[in-house]
Amino acid sequence: MLETVDLSKSFKGNKAVQNVNLYLDQGESVGLLGPNGAGKSTTISMMSTLLKPTSGEIKLNGANTLGKPDELRKVLGVVPQEIALYQELSAYENLRFFGSIYNLKGQKLEKRIQDALEMVGLKDRQKGIVKTFSGGMKRRINIAAALLHEPEILILDEPTVGIDPQSRNHILETVKNLNKEKGTTILYTSHYMEEVEQLCDRLYIMDHGAVIAAGTKLELLSILSSEDTNKVELNHLDESFIQEVKDMEGISKVEASNLQLKIIAKKGSNLISNLVHLAEKHHVQIVNFHTETPSLEDVFLHLTGRTLRD
Amino acid sequence: MMRSVIWAQFAKDRRVPLFLILLIAGSVLATVIFTGGANSPSSFAIYSEEANADQIEKKWEKLLNTDDSLQFSIADSAQVKEDLEKGNIDSAVKLMENDYKIITSDEITDVSYMQQHVHSVFQREAEISAITDLEGNELTREDVEKYLQAGPVQMEKVGLNNEEMTDYNMRTQLMFAFTLLIAIFILGFRVNNVTHDKVSGVWDRMILAPISKTKMYTGYILYSFFISMFQIVAVLLLFKYVLKYDLGNQFWLIILVSALFVFSMISIAMLITGFVKTPEQFYAIYPSIIPLIPLISGSYMMPGTISNPILLFVADLFPMAHAMDAIMNVIFYDAGLADITMSLLVMLLIGIVGMGLGINLVERRSR
Ligand SMILES: Nc1ncnc2c1ncn2[C@@H]1O[C@H](COP(=O)(O)OP(=O)(O)OP(=O)(O)O)[C@@H](O)[C@H]1O
Ligand SMILES: [Mg+2]
Repeated sequence: MLETVDLSKSFKGNKAVQNVNLYLDQGESVGLLGPNGAGKSTTISMMSTLLKPTSGEIKLNGANTLGKPDELRKVLGVVPQEIALYQELSAYENLRFFGSIYNLKGQKLEKRIQDALEMVGLKDRQKGIVKTFSGGMKRRINIAAALLHEPEILILDEPTVGIDPQSRNHILETVKNLNKEKGTTILYTSHYMEEVEQLCDRLYIMDHGAVIAAGTKLELLSILSSEDTNKVELNHLDESFIQEVKDMEGISKVEASNLQLKIIAKKGSNLISNLVHLAEKHHVQIVNFHTETPSLEDVFLHLTGRTLRD
Repeated sequence: MMRSVIWAQFAKDRRVPLFLILLIAGSVLATVIFTGGANSPSSFAIYSEEANADQIEKKWEKLLNTDDSLQFSIADSAQVKEDLEKGNIDSAVKLMENDYKIITSDEITDVSYMQQHVHSVFQREAEISAITDLEGNELTREDVEKYLQAGPVQMEKVGLNNEEMTDYNMRTQLMFAFTLLIAIFILGFRVNNVTHDKVSGVWDRMILAPISKTKMYTGYILYSFFISMFQIVAVLLLFKYVLKYDLGNQFWLIILVSALFVFSMISIAMLITGFVKTPEQFYAIYPSIIPLIPLISGSYMMPGTISNPILLFVADLFPMAHAMDAIMNVIFYDAGLADITMSLLVMLLIGIVGMGLGINLVERRSR
């Protein structure tokens, strides 16, 4: 339905997005993951016709949209990362305004407003002035404002950043409903892996402006299928011990926190006996050991050498 | 859809009307304070110590009392001197046959406006008698006066210093200067809503919607226009009907001038908007530039006070000088639409050029 071909954007020589290829099929729910500054918002701005790419194309049903954005805009709903609302006006007044610039009027406008409010669960707060709302409520109205013209494709840019768990669940529920019940195609940006896991059929992982991995959850996990994630709890930790663990054969990643080590190692690399050996040498006692099936977080760690957040 | 844009802007202002009310009250208050209250003219004593003192005093009393905000009354010379010494009065005018002397009790008292007025009256008299002397009996004094007063166009031929010869009223000029200044602030802050909405992301939402760019800009511009016109008309009506200022008998013409003034100033505000990235930058730049406009346009001074050609040229680039000129001509010299067409056209031109450049810059900023 919507796809990008070698999409790139530079800001004064600084490459924010490089050769990004991604697509959305009708009715799909797709996640776009990446740490701060990965280029998610820039990609989304280009896909929603608000930012001109330095090079590359954006196609809607096979037709290039550059220079003729009207068709795409008609079917597109965009929830921006910032709260794009009139803070001085009430939730209802905001929705009325954003609906009316889509040429909606009268009964139809009123119904769409009430439906959108219902969808984000703020029907009973519509008279409230947006400025007085909590961060979570503002985010929900921010979403409602993008739903009034009933878009076929909805792009959400980090809609759950820094909000309370209740609002967050509400938003996840809203997006799920839109996708499952109304068949809305979703592109969901986040740096919360668990949200994307929960909501999305497929996902793209971006870092430093490029897509570094793509596929369904299972496909991405299979990147790590030759490796295991092991958690080791020790009674005491020292640097030289960690260093020696890192130097062991078949180890691709070691992370230490408190008295825990997270070790990603090749399957069948004799990890346990090697580890016991080392522990004895350093007079360290192994309190607990278990092997986990890898998570998407682990995939990310493996691909970028960093965790998703901070 | 354009109506929606106007409505949203209005709805925001309706929530916080204090800003507007304060500005309007401010302009009224400033006028009242700087022009010495409601309708009481400043009065000055005049006296003469010549042999034919009576005759001289009578003659100049009539000629000097042509400005509503100044009142000259004949007094006994001894009494005046005593009052000056005791500090009962600050200043007086000593009259001679063809000359005068302004006497003040101290150095602080500001008599510059009165001095300007007296000076111009004496100078005009000197010119009239020079002309009548030259022409002998063929030209009467009345002919010359008629010629000089025939209208602003002829006035300019005689020289700017002669403009005060009819009942020029500085208070009215100041009232307009303050009213227009406040209008500039109001319209500027409303034009700045464009930047506001760009930064908040509301602008992008509008871009995504089927509303056209033209309608978006027109919405913001019309709202700025309406709200500033509301302020101007409200203040003028207040001064005309409550404070009884004499605004001539062509109120609609004054409104027309104001409308063109507001339009051209909106364009200049849009031009400034084109140079800023955030609304805060606008708040920093705009109020530091704006008060200079009436200053260099001479709006606070007697017409003709500024003679520096560079300043005059710069002033001509802004609509303030043209608007003030047109309005004063309408009020004091009964100028009609035809007489002020030039000023109106210049403002229109400034408006169109400024708007074109401004919107272009704003658009380029969003690339
Ligand atoms: N208008 C701009 N001018 C210059 N550089 C920009 C601009 N917008 C984005 N960038 C740069 O492009 C890179 C990608 O930014 P982008 O906002 O797309 O990241 P992001 O993945 O959305 O991050 P976040 O999770 O913080 O929202 C960053 O290095 C950013 O500094
Ligand atoms: Mg972002």
